[in-house]
Amino acid sequence: MSDNSSNRIVIPLGPQHPALKEPGSFTLTLEGEKVVNAVIGIGYNHRGLEKALESRTYIQNLYMIERICGICSHTHSVAYCQAIEEMCGVEIPMRAKYIRVIIAELERLHSHLLWLGVAAHEIGFDTLFMYAWRDREMVLDMLAELCGNRVNYGINTLGGVRRDIDDNDAHEIKKILRVLHNQISYYLELATNEPTLIARLADVGKLNHDDALKFGAVGPVARAAGIANDVRKIEPYAAYDEVPVNVITDDHGDVLGRTLVRVKEMLESISIIRYCLDNLPAGEILAKVPRKVPAGEMISRTEAPRGENIHYINSDGSDIPYRIRVRAPSEANWHGMKHMLEGSFLADVPIAIAAIDPCYSCTDRAIFVNSDNGESRLYDWKGLREYSIKWHRDRGLNIADIQIPMAKNYIQIQRKTND
Amino acid sequence: MNNEEIIVSKIFDRFEFARDKIHVQKRLRIISDPFSREEFEQIIEYLHDELGFKIAHHIVGIDYGEDLGFIYMLGNDEHIIFALKEKVSKENPEINSMTKYYPSLLMHELELVDLFGAIVKDLPDVPSYPLPDGWPKGNHPMRKDWNPAYFDHKTMTYNPPAKEVKEDEKQ
Repeated sequence: MSDNSSNRIVIPLGPQHPALKEPGSFTLTLEGEKVVNAVIGIGYNHRGLEKALESRTYIQNLYMIERICGICSHTHSVAYCQAIEEMCGVEIPMRAKYIRVIIAELERLHSHLLWLGVAAHEIGFDTLFMYAWRDREMVLDMLAELCGNRVNYGINTLGGVRRDIDDNDAHEIKKILRVLHNQISYYLELATNEPTLIARLADVGKLNHDDALKFGAVGPVARAAGIANDVRKIEPYAAYDEVPVNVITDDHGDVLGRTLVRVKEMLESISIIRYCLDNLPAGEILAKVPRKVPAGEMISRTEAPRGENIHYINSDGSDIPYRIRVRAPSEANWHGMKHMLEGSFLADVPIAIAAIDPCYSCTDRAIFVNSDNGESRLYDWKGLREYSIKWHRDRGLNIADIQIPMAKNYIQIQRKTND
Repeated sequence: MNNEEIIVSKIFDRFEFARDKIHVQKRLRIISDPFSREEFEQIIEYLHDELGFKIAHHIVGIDYGEDLGFIYMLGNDEHIIFALKEKVSKENPEINSMTKYYPSLLMHELELVDLFGAIVKDLPDVPSYPLPDGWPKGNHPMRKDWNPAYFDHKTMTYNPPAKEVKEDEKQ
């Protein structure tokens, strides 16, 4: 056996944007092109959220809980709300449960499309990146129409949801879903038949069934290793006990498998949304929840786009939680990362990292931000807007001259293009 | 008996000290009262080795006032979440690393060290997580008596106001 230790070099990857536009550091020891050791450093996005949650009321915390993650904000607010509703013994209206499912599946669609674009970009397939992100805009427009926001939807509240879906909304959503279904079916055909794509993704970032279990992988990472775990089936929440859900699995255990699982899950999400719109129960969308939560503790879980999301809430009987702990899915998927990287080629590292769809903000939920010059400034909305206009004008761009099409017009343009 | 109740009864049969301190909260949820360090380690070994709890979701640190609590969220193939609690005094917050059973707990134990001031024995030599480099020693932000209002971001120092001394304490 030869000793190659003298040929080893250590290279730092990150912390600025090692794969995605988020911070994480990877210290890689290479032997030739092969990674023989990886030390992962995260924590750059730690914001002190869990501490902040302990000094605000349950209602105020709704705002903060949604900001754990910009991509999967809804799954966090669902987990939080349903834990408190159960602690208070409140059964929310069925219509509200269905609306929570519709928004959850739209969130899964836009999250998976975002991932598909990022993954395509990491392997140099920028055409697919542009296609996926163009289609994601349709989903974000739907979310904006239904909730008022593209992200951080604010649809959930304690006791149900804040906005209803009318027949016109349902009709518009179904039309857009038809376009999306065609597009996503095309991506599935690509991932199944396109030889270059398959050759680039197969056997990269391997995590087999046993290792996925050992490292506690969740979501599409686990399902791509043949583990059929999905909270929507295991412990149905919201309206998932009434809505048919097929759990998508694959046995590749690599980035190709994760791609196939996510693309197929998007088609499944479209079926779920259609079912919910066709079977949306009539009635109220909100039940009354007391301001103070009875003393006790509750563990609530949801299936986020990235996997199992667990919230622990401990109440001392007041209107402020004693302790909230969030175990986001990315936090679970980091553990297998070292294993995936070691033995892989350096060129595969970015796509292997991206393939768990890591969310650094989710992982580092919980301190304080120093501004660059050590000073803190508080902007009101007007001040922030003026700062933004000045920032762009200093760089030769006058925002007032830009004509932005309205969301609905954009969707019509998209539909014409795809028809 | 359902699966959750069978698991609890097996623990009661094995460990008399655990009787009536573990409860089935609802389907797929088993929650314990806090156990001492020694008792906790006996139960977690049994859960891992003999009752099939091979998954560790995470650990919740909690400040009980005089004591620190650590809730280990364990899972099995039937998707039951077992919240097993351990309690140690703040004066001696020493616990053993459970990464020998659950490698995925490493990051969560590092979090207990930084945020709660736990002393976790047998942790590997890895960078601390999640507090930034230069964070002042002895400051554990998730303890209830740590107030973010007294933390100076520029100097990275914690400056609580001088404790008021009551008249009867002066004498």
